[in-house]
Parts: sequence; C-alpha cells; structure tokens
Amino acid sequence: SRVEQERCLRYTSTLYIGNLSFHTTEEQLYELFGRAGAIKRIIMGLDKFKKTPCGFCFVEYYTREDAEMCMRYINGTRLDDRIIRSDWDTGFIEGRQYGRG
Amino acid sequence: RKRRRTDAVEIEDRLESLIIRVGEKSTSSLESNLEGLASVLEADINNYRNKILKILSECAVKMPEKTTIYTTLVGLLNAKNYIFGGEFVDLMARKLKDALKSCMWKTARYVVRFFADLVNCHVISTNSLLQLYHSFLETAQEDNAPQVRSDTYIYAVLSSLPWVGRELYEKKEQDLEKLLKHIEIYVNKRSCKHVAGLRVWRSDSPHPQEEYLDCLWAQICKLRSDNWQEKHIARPYVAFDQVLCEALQHNIPVITPPPHSPDNTYPFPWVVFRLFAYTDCPEGPILPGAHSIERYLIEEHLHNIIKQFHLERKQCASFLLDFPLKQKIPLEYVIVEVVLAEMFHLPASRYLQICYGSLLIELCKLQPATMPQVLAQAVELLFERIDTMNTCCHDRFVSWFAYHLSNFQFKWSWDDWLHAAKLPVDHPRAKFVVEVLQRCMRLSYHDRIAEVVPEQFDCFVPAKPKVIFRYDPDLGGESYVWEILHATIRKMSKHVARLQKDMLDSRDSHRRRRSGAETRRASDESESNSDNSSDEDTARPRPTEEEIERMEEKLETAHTDQKNLFLIIFQRFIMLLSEHLSKCDTERRDYDTHWYRWTVGRLQQIFMQHNNQVERYGKTLNELLFTPDLDSHILDIFNQFMSLRA
Repeated sequence: SRVEQERCLRYTSTLYIGNLSFHTTEEQLYELFGRAGAIKRIIMGLDKFKKTPCGFCFVEYYTREDAEMCMRYINGTRLDDRIIRSDWDTGFIEGRQYGRG
Repeated sequence: RKRRRTDAVEIEDRLESLIIRVGEKSTSSLESNLEGLASVLEADINNYRNKILKILSECAVKMPEKTTIYTTLVGLLNAKNYIFGGEFVDLMARKLKDALKSCMWKTARYVVRFFADLVNCHVISTNSLLQLYHSFLETAQEDNAPQVRSDTYIYAVLSSLPWVGRELYEKKEQDLEKLLKHIEIYVNKRSCKHVAGLRVWRSDSPHPQEEYLDCLWAQICKLRSDNWQEKHIARPYVAFDQVLCEALQHNIPVITPPPHSPDNTYPFPWVVFRLFAYTDCPEGPILPGAHSIERYLIEEHLHNIIKQFHLERKQCASFLLDFPLKQKIPLEYVIVEVVLAEMFHLPASRYLQICYGSLLIELCKLQPATMPQVLAQAVELLFERIDTMNTCCHDRFVSWFAYHLSNFQFKWSWDDWLHAAKLPVDHPRAKFVVEVLQRCMRLSYHDRIAEVVPEQFDCFVPAKPKVIFRYDPDLGGESYVWEILHATIRKMSKHVARLQKDMLDSRDSHRRRRSGAETRRASDESESNSDNSSDEDTARPRPTEEEIERMEEKLETAHTDQKNLFLIIFQRFIMLLSEHLSKCDTERRDYDTHWYRWTVGRLQQIFMQHNNQVERYGKTLNELLFTPDLDSHILDIFNQFMSLRA
C-alpha cells in the first residue's frame, strides 16, 4: 500500500542510482559510493535480454545515515563523465535488476 | 478564550520571525530596522516577556555571526526597560553555567563573547566582565586538571577580546594589561607535546605551523599593538551611542567554573592550517596577514558557515561565496584555505571527506571564472610541500584530488609533474602521482587515464592488467594494504559499538520495564493501552537478566579482541621500526629515510584515525608496548597521541 511504501522510504538504506554509463563497473561504484559509508551490497541493473549493464544499479548501505550521506554528497556529481542521480528505494527484490531491453 | 490563545501564538511566531531575521538583506538600513524592532518588542515585553527572552538568548548563541546585531538590540531594549535588560543578563548567565556544566564549550564561548559585546552596548559593567575573565583564568592555577581544560577556558576569554578590547583599553587599560599578563604567563608555560602529531606539515617553511592558542595569542598581541583597532566586525551600536550611554548597566552574576571531573571532555587542540601568503594572491584586495585578527575572524566566520550548511552543499557553496566582506578580501583564496583546513584537520575531520570534495565541486561550478584556478594553485602548493606532509593528510589529498579530477574529465597540467617520474618510488612526490593515478583508475578505467596522462608517466600507469589480483601490492599499490587495515579496524570498532548499544538498550528497557510494571499497576489499564510507545515496547520480547549478562560477556570479548588487534598492529610497527633504528645505528647510517618516514607516518595514522578506540587502551599500551625503554622516536608518537587529552 501507499502508506506502507512511504514508511519504507523513510527507513530504507537502499538507493536507486540512475544515469550510469553502460560501461561503469561494479568496482567503480564501490570506489565512489564507498566514500559515503560502508556498502552492504551493490546490484547492477542488467539488460533483460543481453544481461549486460544498462545504466542503473541499487546501492544498499548498512545504515540509513550512510545512505543519507550519499544522497547529500554524491547525488548529482559525476561518474564516468555522467551526472548520476540517486533516489530512495524501498529495497531490492529479486527480478528488479532487469531493466527494459 | 480559544480565539485569544491562537492570537497569542500567532503574535509569538511573528515576534520570533522578526527577531531571527533582523540583519538579513533589507531595503532599509540595519539601524532603522533595529530601532523599529526594539520599539515593537518594547510594546510587547509585558505580555510576551518569557518568549522574547528565550528567542533572544537562543539567537545570541546560535547565530554568532550576528552577535553585534543582537547586542545592539538588547542594548536598545535595556535603555528602554532596565528590568528586562537585567532579566536577559541573568538568563544568559544561567545559560553559561549550564553550558560549562555540560561541557558545551562552543555555547559557553559564544555567551562570553556576547557578554563582552554587551559591555560595548552599556548593558554590562566593565568590572563584572573582567571578573568573569579572571574566574576563567583561575583554571590555569588548578592542579590535577588537564591542560586542555584551562586551554578551553582561556580560549573563550581570548576569542572574545576582539569585540571588547578597544573598550577595555579606553576605560580600564591597567586591568586589561594585567589580564593579558596573566594570559601571557599561561601561554608561555604550556606544554606543546601534542603539536607535532597535529601538524599537516613537519616543516615550518614557508608558513609556521602554529598551535591554535599560540596563534590567537599572537593575533591578540598584534591587535593590542594596533591599539585594538580592527576592521572586520560591523558595530551597529555605534550609531546609537547617545541612547545607549544613558542606560544603566548590570553586573554579570558571579560564575565560577565547575570543577574538573574525569567524565568531562574538552576539545582537542589543533594546529592552524596556512596555505597562502598574500603574495600568492594576484591583484585585488590583500590577504590579511597570518597574525592579523581579521584573518582569525574571517576564518571563524567561514567555518561557521560550513558548519551551518554542511548538509546542503549547494547552499553552503553559495553562502560561502556571498560572504559579507567579499569586496575586502581575496575571497576564493580564504574559502579554499578554510575548506582544505577542515579536510586536513587532525586527528579527524569534522565531516566526511566527500562532504568537502563535493563542496569544492559546487564552488567551482558556481564561480567557474575564478574558483578552479585558485584550487589548481592550491594543489600546486600542496604538491610543492608534500615532502613533509603528514601521512594521514597525504592519503586524504590523494583521495580527494582523484575524486575532484573525476568530476572534471581528469583535466590537469600533468606535464608540470613530469619530474616526479624520475624520483625514487618512495619519494613523497612520486608516491603522490602514482597513487593519484591509481585512484583515478579506480574511479574510471585504465585506458581513459592512460589517454590523459603524458607518455612519460607510463612507468606509473601499469600495463593494462589481464587478471586483477585485487590485493597484489604490485598492481594495486601499497596504499591498498593500508586501506584494508583501516577498514578492518573500522569493522571491529563498528562491531564493538553495536554490541555496546544493544547491551545498553536492553539494560535500559529491562530497567524501564521493572519500574514501568510498578507504575502500570497503579494506573488505569485503558490509559496505558492507548499509549503508543508502551505498545511498541511490549511488542519486543523483554530481555531477561540472563540475556543481558550474556550480552555483557559478548561485549567484553569484543573489547578483548579489539585490544588484541591494536596490540598486534602496534607490536609489528614497533618491531619494524626498532629493527631499522638499531640497524642504522650499528651501521652508522642515517635512519631518517623515506621508508622510515612512511612507516612512522602510518603508525601515527593508526593513532589518529582511530583515536576514540585506541584511547580506551592507552593504559595497556603504555604498560605492555610503549614502555620507557623503547627508542624515543617511537615512544614520541605514542606520547603525542596521549597528550591530545592531557
């Protein structure tokens, strides 16, 4: 439900990261996003058919505070010469890594 | 009845907004705004006395950059209503007492400054301010109290003198001189053991690395020799001199510093960061000298802006660039120096490194005509002086610079650094270039970096790796190893912190449940059911005494593990360094090699970066490892660290 989703967004420590280059690797993401705090896991967004990176990912931090740091300081800065965007996400669920082909 | 109450709330809100916003940009002059506001408040004093007192006292400590505006306002109110003025002084005195008791040193310092400036507004008598100063100075005579305590008190006095120095000089010159004499004696007899560990550079060339209290003392002495004339503080009360000098003055109630308790924490001392000299700034306004009081006041103001807006990097950047005195100073230079000062602050920066990194990016974006050049100049100076840079700061510099370049297409005049390719690999300059390139590659990819750097750097840009052994020192560079070590220590610290929190929470909830059970028996059942928080409490299983005991054991084990981790790390350092020192001694070689400096730097880094955790085991470390028979070069590092709280 909507209320539940809003509640989720208030407490989540997962971020959806968009506008990544298709060539950006997981290692690069760790290097940049690790600067905001300790990362629990990163899930690369993949093309549904080709199973190759397709410009987004989920970054999950151990704590909400670290995710907030990321929203403050990394959102809107560059990685691989592209301005990347971060947004609160309710949390990764298997299947969501597949973007549109 | 209800109607009246909402009216009252509305008026209170309006008063609050008027008071908070006075001094902001406006079409009329500050003086006429203050005069108008004073009349409005005077009319409302009888009905809204407590509210007005509360707002004013909060503005006094929360907006230190507007000190003189609020002191003028209080001065005008005191001239109209003497009783109100007295109540305000009493309230501030209570605020000061509370702040001293609860170790809120910044609040305390701002109250003292406010009192000092109230002397200028004829609200407080000169004598009672001097009395307050002297009672603060008495902390210098205490036995068995750490130096950081008296430092904190004396810093509060010194840092308020720019506001009231001239007035004291004109009215009470002899008392002022006596006060300064006391401070001078104190400053001269202080121990400076902690300074070496807090310096960004080992060298005093080209800028002396002064400890904060020594530096402020020198600035105050310079101010004194200028007959206490300063040109930074705007003083709106001057326009109201005729009204204010008619007013009667109050005495600050007697305030004695509460005695030292082992639970008190005092701020760490620090070393003032200096990067630019006035000759570094091209034409335009001149950079105030290192010992001019203006430099101190400007820097403090800029640090406060960062503190206030650090959560909003764009706002922070625009407030910094909109600094009120921007026409009178080379603003970009002071901003860069202040941001880098925070970034390199030892033992730890106030905020995350990336907070400063992203702020510098915003500054460059907002002021593209000047900021990038000034920042590039700063990087050149830092690189020039990197030979003696503290290892913690060297790491932060590498990490920030690579991050910054990654936001600006890795554009840099790399050719200027070609000479570094010819230096030995463990020379700080060579190391810096290698590590920056490696970091850049981690943020980007191999070919991208190979493309932007000159061919001569090929020795630094390793051949494109086929199989990546993440921890292979030949590929990743030795800095990787240190990152892993620090990450391990941090993980351990987080583990300990979590166990500690769990244990305290459970103990707390156990205690609350027991006392809660008693109160609930007495109270109405339906009432306790409707209480939301107690609902949540009952939802969680209640920890039993046994469970809490188990948690305590777990925490104790974790503490032991943590202690052992530090013991092992420090023991290795001691072994390696002792071996090097004794070998050099027998072979009659100079011990002070690049290797030695890096290793000592890394040892220092463990202390600095994990100071809160290491501190806990200071006594054990002193007994087991850092014993008096150890080579003094190694022992010094430990003693420097221990003296941070001494």
